[in-house]
Order: sequence, then C-alpha cells, then structure tokens
Amino acid sequence: MRIVLFMILGVFLYASDATLEIVKSADNRPMVAIQDASEFGTEMTRQKFFRLVMGDLKVTAHFKVDDTYRRSGYNSLIDPMLKTNNYLLRYRFREGDQQQLFMDVKAYEFPSATPFFERSYRVSNRARYPFLIHQAVIDFNDFLKMPSVGWMKRYVVFAEYIKARHADIVIADYTLTYRKKIVSGGLNIFPKWADRAQKGIYYTKLGRRPVLYYYNIYTGEQRKVATSDGMLVCSDVSRDGRKLLLTMAPNGQPDVYQYHIGSGMKERLTFYSGIDVSAQYINGEKRIVFVSDRLGYPNVFASRIGSRGVQQMVFHGRNNNACSAHGKYIVYSSRETDNAFSSNTFNLYLISTESDYIRRLTASGINQFPKFSEDGESVMYIKHYASQSALGIIRLNYNEGYLFPLKGKRIQSIDW
Amino acid sequence: MKKSLFIAAIAAALLMSGCSQKEPEVDMTQQEGAGQQATSADTGLDTIQGSTESSDLMGEDARMAKIRQIETSAKKIYFDFDKYNIRPDQEPRVDEDAKLFASEDAKDLTIKIEGNCDEWGTDEYNYALGLKRAKTVRDALSVKGIDESRMVMVSYGESNPVCTEHRKECWAQNRRVEFKLLP
Repeated sequence: MRIVLFMILGVFLYASDATLEIVKSADNRPMVAIQDASEFGTEMTRQKFFRLVMGDLKVTAHFKVDDTYRRSGYNSLIDPMLKTNNYLLRYRFREGDQQQLFMDVKAYEFPSATPFFERSYRVSNRARYPFLIHQAVIDFNDFLKMPSVGWMKRYVVFAEYIKARHADIVIADYTLTYRKKIVSGGLNIFPKWADRAQKGIYYTKLGRRPVLYYYNIYTGEQRKVATSDGMLVCSDVSRDGRKLLLTMAPNGQPDVYQYHIGSGMKERLTFYSGIDVSAQYINGEKRIVFVSDRLGYPNVFASRIGSRGVQQMVFHGRNNNACSAHGKYIVYSSRETDNAFSSNTFNLYLISTESDYIRRLTASGINQFPKFSEDGESVMYIKHYASQSALGIIRLNYNEGYLFPLKGKRIQSIDW
Repeated sequence: MKKSLFIAAIAAALLMSGCSQKEPEVDMTQQEGAGQQATSADTGLDTIQGSTESSDLMGEDARMAKIRQIETSAKKIYFDFDKYNIRPDQEPRVDEDAKLFASEDAKDLTIKIEGNCDEWGTDEYNYALGLKRAKTVRDALSVKGIDESRMVMVSYGESNPVCTEHRKECWAQNRRVEFKLLP
C-alpha cells in the first residue's frame, strides 16, 4: 500500500517536470487522414501545401497523422477505407482575385462520416500560404479542445548571413517557409523580440561601433537605444518590456548589464574578467542564467540580480556555449566532441533550476540555436547536416521532435 | 584693290554672321567626343625642373595607398580552437606588428583590431570570443609600446571568414585577428 502511495505521489510530483522524459507505452492519440481537393497550383505546389498541413498536424503532437497524400473532390463521398481513422481533414486551396488565396477546410468524424468542422480562410498574398495552414490547424485543434497550439501563428525573427560582414534581419512563420526581410544593408545581427505582442525588435548594427536599435515592424519607426565599444547584444527582454539584458564590452571586456528603458540606467550584473554573455531572466526575473568561460570553457551559470555570487548550472559537457531559458527551465547546446580539425557533434539538453535531472533532447548531428517557444512547451533549433540544414521543433511535453528542411543561407541568430 | 578686298571681307563677315544665326544650336557634349583634339593644359609644366609633383588630391591618394600598404604588411595573428590567448608561435608576429605600427609612416594612424572566429561557435559566445582575441592582441601591443588610445576593437564573430570551405585549413585561417588602419 505504501509503495503504491509513493508511486502515485511520484507521478503527481514529477508529472509537470519537463526534464523527465515521457516514454509512451501505447499511442492512443486520434488518427487523422488528409485529403486534398485543391483547384489551385501545380502538382509540386499541392505537395508543398500537403506537407505543411501534415507537418502542422504532427507538430501539435495531438494526432497520429496518416502520411498518405490523397486527392478528392471537396464535396465527394467519403472513401469507406478511410473509416479506420478517427477524423478526416479535407481541404481545398482556391485562387482569388489578384494575389488572393483561399483555403477551405472541412473535417469529418468517423465512423459516422459526418462533417463537424468547416471553415474558410483567405490571405491577400499567396506567399502567406503557411499562415492559412497554421490558422486552420490551430482552429481544428482548438475545436477538439486539445491544448492550444496558438504559438504556430507567431513570428520568428532571425538574422542570416548574406556575404562576409553582411547580414539581414528576416521575419518568418515558425517553419521558416514564409520570409520577409525587414532590415538590410551592413551587418545586422542578434534580433530579439521587444515585446510579447511582437510589435518590435531590438537588433545590433555592427559598424565602426556596435549600436543597438529598436525597430517597430509595423510602422518602420527606428530608434537608437545604446552604443558600446566592441560588443553590444540584447539577449533578453523582461516580460513587461521595460528592462533589457545586454552584453556590452566597454574596454573589450564582455559582461552582462541590465538596462532600464525608462531611465536609460545601465547596471552591471557580472564581474568576471573572461567572457560573460547570453544572459536570460529566470525565476520571475529575480535571477539570470548566462554563458561564461570562468572554468576555462564555456558553460551555463546563474546568479541573483544584485548579488555577485555565481552558481554553476550544468555539470556535464566541456563546451556549453548557447542557452535559452523559460521560467525554471534551461535548454542548452553542448559540444560533445573537441575536434579542432573535423566536424563536431552538438546536442541539446534540458535542465530545471529546481532539480538535478538532465534530459537529452537530440541524439546526433549538429544541433544549435535552441530557443523556447513563448509558452515554454516547445523548443526550436537548427540542425545542420553535411549539405543541408533543417529547422527542428521539440514538443517537450510529448517527447516528439519534427524537422522542416531549411533552404538558403546561414542563420546567425534566431528568436521565437 | 585694297578697297574691294575690304568690301569683300565685310560682305563675307555679314554673310557668315547671317549664316550662323540660321545654324542649329551647338551640342556641347558632342564637342567633347573622342574624335576631338584635347587642348593641353600642361602649360609648360613638363619642362619645369624639380622633385616629385604633388597636390592635395594626389597626396590623399598616395597616403591611402601607403596606409593600405602598411595594412597588407601587418601580420595576422592566429588562434587555437576556442582559445583567445596568444600562442608562442604567434608572438614574433605580434612583435613585428608592434614595430610596424610604431614606425614613422604608421605612428599617427588609428589601429582597428578585428577579432574573427571559425564557424563552430554559435550566437553571442562566438562574438565575445572574437572580441577577447582582439583584446589580447591590443593588450600585447600596448605592452610593446603602442598607445591604447590609438587602438579600437571590433568582433566580427564568424561573419567575416577569409575561407568558406568546410575544411580544417579553412577553420584555422578564420580564427584570427587582423588589422585595419584608419587615418
């Protein structure tokens, strides 16, 4: 009896700890089949749309999705073979005037084969098709009262290298399929969302001296926030948007500072003579985590704001040089190999500030740029292969990972 | 005879002036065409004896050319993987740079020290590593007598590779500090 009680207690105690890996014994998620009734696009375009619908449904982690591409009329009778599934999601893309694109979505429930969900969406420019699909999947998921995946329609901002000493800042959907360049000319790096509503960004322009700018993505308003010698990066923004964590390097010495937007006051938070960078708020913004080489190699440390004491957070790996924090969780990238002269392996790990558990999130390859989603339930990262890169999404509570192939240039920094 | 010549001359002048009024306006740009003979403005300068010629314009160009020449002869400083200390084999190169920057031609120039990294780091740490490399070189040059106020530092992280292939020789070339000289 006591053992049973302990087990139950244990389950409750750790149920909400994302560092514990969930090992599923049975997959009882509802099965969904997809049918394409599009009147628009070539075979290749239709495949592209289908892959994104399927990808979105899979990334929710709430469904078991059938990979088969099926064509059908939008109002055709349902193939009885599909009735082994729980749901059928049928969609149709239609052309509108000028650049308009419509997406109609209808979902059927089995075994009754009755339609229970029907919606229509439109965008005024076809390039925005990923947002049609994200919205449709968000609504379908919400209609079934599954935990929200509203983060799918949030923007991602990233800097990409164009050529030597040139980088542009780009806004994208979470799969990086849709892209819109917002800042170009020169070396524009380290973009960071300035507010939770994603109205503006902070970014660094590296000219003769680095300058931190605020840029409103809707009005185009741009203003200079700060300058510093050597280095200036905004690594985190407080929830109310009134405080920034900056890496500045007066006299060539990179340290973490807290910047108060209202007063312009800068407060130095780290005091080590080596490298202290990438600070992020944790534990209700009373503490910060940051990357430091104070042990002779880059690793993740924490300190209380206003105190000089520093606590080592990670006791594993010999090179942990990038991290992202959300509440009590920290995800970091660890270089597992130490090859100066060949390819290295980087894996992602998740830790909690309140326990000693480490959860490995990736198994092989080069996995970098980990970033938490706004709700902290997912981690985005970039995976590099020999000749290609992919954007990865890990759904922490579901122990599921997904990769979207990534074409194009090298990413410098990313914020979700 | 003289009178008739005079009348003929006046008549010709009147005739020509009358004609010129009827002619279309001259397009000046056509006169500057390649086919036209350019008038010399050397006004005897070729034959004046003396030293090398100069003017403010040529002086500026010559000065910039000189600066670029010093910049090219400055030695790049290379670093080990993930490190920002100066390797023993790089110390003579720092000595040479210190001598060069203290030379008569360079002593008034500002030295921009640029730190660079290979592609293996990500995000902020790489930029900080580049900056620390620049700072180590600045401190070494300072010890060797270069005034700190002449030196500015910047880090380009992994954004400014000299070699973009994914091989070890490339990565080693990219982990470097290099110099730009500013008037």
